[in-house]
Amino acid sequence: MPKNGYETAQAVRDTIYRASLALDDFSWQDWLDLCAPDEFHYMITSFSPEIGKNMIYLQGSWKEMKLMVDMLPKHNTDHSPLHRHTSVYTVDVSADGKTAEAVSSVVIYQNMLDGINSHIDSGESRLFLVGKYHDQFKIEDGVAKFTKRDTRLGNRRLDKGSHYPI
Amino acid sequence: MPARNHSQWMAKPPLADDEWIDSRIYSDQEIFEDEQEKIFKHVWVPVCHESELPKAYDFRTTSIAGEPVIICRGPDDEVRAFLNVCPHRGMLIERRPSGSFLEGQPSGNPKRITCMFHAWQFDMKGNCVYVAREKEGYQDRFCKEQAGLRRLRCEVKFGGFVWVNLDDKPSVSLEDWAGAPFECLRKTLDEEPLEIFHYHKAVIDTNYKLWHDTNSEFYHDFMHYHNRVTGFNDAYFARNNEAFPHGHVVVGTFEVNYENYEGFESRGELSFPHLPPNQWYMIDLFPGFNFNLRGSALRCDTVTPLGPDKVMIEFRGLGLKSDTEEERITRINHHNSIWGPFGRNLHEDLIGVAGQGTTMRPGTEERRILHGRQENQTIHDENGMRHYYEEWGRWVDRSPSQPDQAYSVRQGVAAAE
Ligand code: FES
Ligand SMILES: [Fe+2]
Repeated sequence: MPKNGYETAQAVRDTIYRASLALDDFSWQDWLDLCAPDEFHYMITSFSPEIGKNMIYLQGSWKEMKLMVDMLPKHNTDHSPLHRHTSVYTVDVSADGKTAEAVSSVVIYQNMLDGINSHIDSGESRLFLVGKYHDQFKIEDGVAKFTKRDTRLGNRRLDKGSHYPI
Repeated sequence: MPARNHSQWMAKPPLADDEWIDSRIYSDQEIFEDEQEKIFKHVWVPVCHESELPKAYDFRTTSIAGEPVIICRGPDDEVRAFLNVCPHRGMLIERRPSGSFLEGQPSGNPKRITCMFHAWQFDMKGNCVYVAREKEGYQDRFCKEQAGLRRLRCEVKFGGFVWVNLDDKPSVSLEDWAGAPFECLRKTLDEEPLEIFHYHKAVIDTNYKLWHDTNSEFYHDFMHYHNRVTGFNDAYFARNNEAFPHGHVVVGTFEVNYENYEGFESRGELSFPHLPPNQWYMIDLFPGFNFNLRGSALRCDTVTPLGPDKVMIEFRGLGLKSDTEEERITRINHHNSIWGPFGRNLHEDLIGVAGQGTTMRPGTEERRILHGRQENQTIHDENGMRHYYEEWGRWVDRSPSQPDQAYSVRQGVAAAE
């Protein structure tokens, strides 16, 4: 591990957990502020044993993700809050301490609001998605910023899907 | 009109008989069972794409009307379909969604379809080639020659989709069933091989026909911000809904202005063969299959009804097999921008039919569902649904607007024909 590797790994964990909170709160700007605007690339992917292929379900640059969340008010959507449980499994800091990679497990629950029949289901939490975050970071002044997030889903059954970054 | 009392609400709408239907056709268990028996067991179903089983000995499993089906590609490159049911004690022979029989299984040999239970084995033509301890158990009374799989009608057609019909004697051939609606895209889809790049599924608490209705009416483009800004212009409103025999409908094309949605791009560079840039064709096949080509990507929806108020919808995305890696990524991005599970439109469509499913749960009072827009069979005319329900009425012998009564040609249709 490089010099200050422990602190760097802690900074990486901190960024991943802050991103989880921002995404849970639909605080899109707070989430984007944790990402490096010029480098960030976001992906939702999954492997399908049905068709034997790695699939990309969504991807975009920082700017494209920003446009996507800015457009949300113009779209009809399921407003049920998403709550994720993230556990950082591994953090690998590069030898020069300038970049890092991390793998986290993530479980996302949908806290039902208006998706189906609010009288019956609002307030109920349903398991929505499971997967892993494969993240990359650049480290500057002890702060870790996302340069890449690949949300690798275990799901191919996505029911109504979502308009939100996951 | 002000809000209505109960008898006003339940009154026949002041529309022609074919311009409205009764919501019980979306919620009644008996009608669902009729549909499985009388429709789904007799129609051509596009179960998968041939690129899902590209090599000899590849297989794919699926089901139609509750019957498990296996599709496999033989060493002769022929794609065949069988019931995925063992002739011995009825085990589901292959449990995986896809794979290759080139690998041996714990109970059986390579190049064989093996039932794990008692190790009976079958070849890619469905012949039974091995019965464990055959002579010892059956002596001369029964042998593997009498234990073949149940073969099903199967054709690869219209862009490489694999079509299966549970009926050995379908009322019409696949060509006669769907050739006419596919005519608008036949050259485009058959010019070169296609390849699947996207698969996901949704299980929604709603009736399968509500999904097909949504795919056949474009009036709901008001729900899609994307379609309003990239579509609503004179050419859009001039698009035609054309009805074809057997309940199918084709929505004609126009040029979509994708750049009008902030951050989206024209799809002109990667148009499918023989098409001008940014065209949008939609083929809706009775009773619930949809082929949707938006310039650079083809989408196919397949419904599998699971109950009167439950449907599984499988979504596929396809490009050209000859795509470079870069071209493929661009097609995938175009596909996902509106049609992916995190795209702009699909989520909205699914919320729409989930909401209809909520108001039409089994046991709710019947509702009058209006299909009465008449606009010279252009895009917001509801003739697609009217045409569909005439076909539906004939297949299940029920009136769509009075489903407890036998079918007879409804008023508006009789006048039109
Ligand atoms: S049930 Fe298949 S071999 Fe016995
Ligand atoms: Fe739609």
